[in-house]
Amino acid sequence: MFKASSPLFSGLLWKIPWRISQPQKARQRKRLRSVDRVVDTVSAALTRNGHSARSVTRWFKEMPREEEMLPKDKYTLFDKKEKTYRKGIHKLPKWTRVSQRVNPPGF
Amino acid sequence: MSYFRVTLVRSAIGLPRRTTDVLKALGLKKRMVTVFHPVSPSVAGQIMKVKELVEVREVEKRLTRQEVHLERKPDPGYYVEKTSGAEWKESR
Repeated sequence: MFKASSPLFSGLLWKIPWRISQPQKARQRKRLRSVDRVVDTVSAALTRNGHSARSVTRWFKEMPREEEMLPKDKYTLFDKKEKTYRKGIHKLPKWTRVSQRVNPPGF
Repeated sequence: MSYFRVTLVRSAIGLPRRTTDVLKALGLKKRMVTVFHPVSPSVAGQIMKVKELVEVREVEKRLTRQEVHLERKPDPGYYVEKTSGAEWKESR
């Protein structure tokens, strides 16, 4: 039986679920920790060899670590068009391969 | 002198062109490739550009591609005592 629905009526329509699932959250935390680990390794290697890099110091100054982040910032991000000013981080394009850790203050 | 041991674990397909270019500059053309670079601020900056895609370790020695491959090779479970050619030479 044909049932009218947006994906069947229009051409290309992707449906991204509203909620992010528990395993997706777990993998997100794992990815956050892996990025932390890479930055820690790079920073430790540089200090041991007596160097410093601006990108590394800037990361430590600006970005929170995985354990310091609030769940709100781990799994959602700011969106001015949403009623609550927040949407799931899985709506961010390429969200598994980009760093999105900080949001506007107060939101 | 120590080295960064950088392995590409996530591909850069669909990411900005600059990301692919940085990977190319590091010598990472496909996933699970390992490269060695001396520890320096410029290499650190390059790694920071692609930190979501790579795994990094600090090592003392740089290995060749073949040595990296042999690390992953499983133990065959046997060893060769004598080859047939050597045995033949002895019997003559």
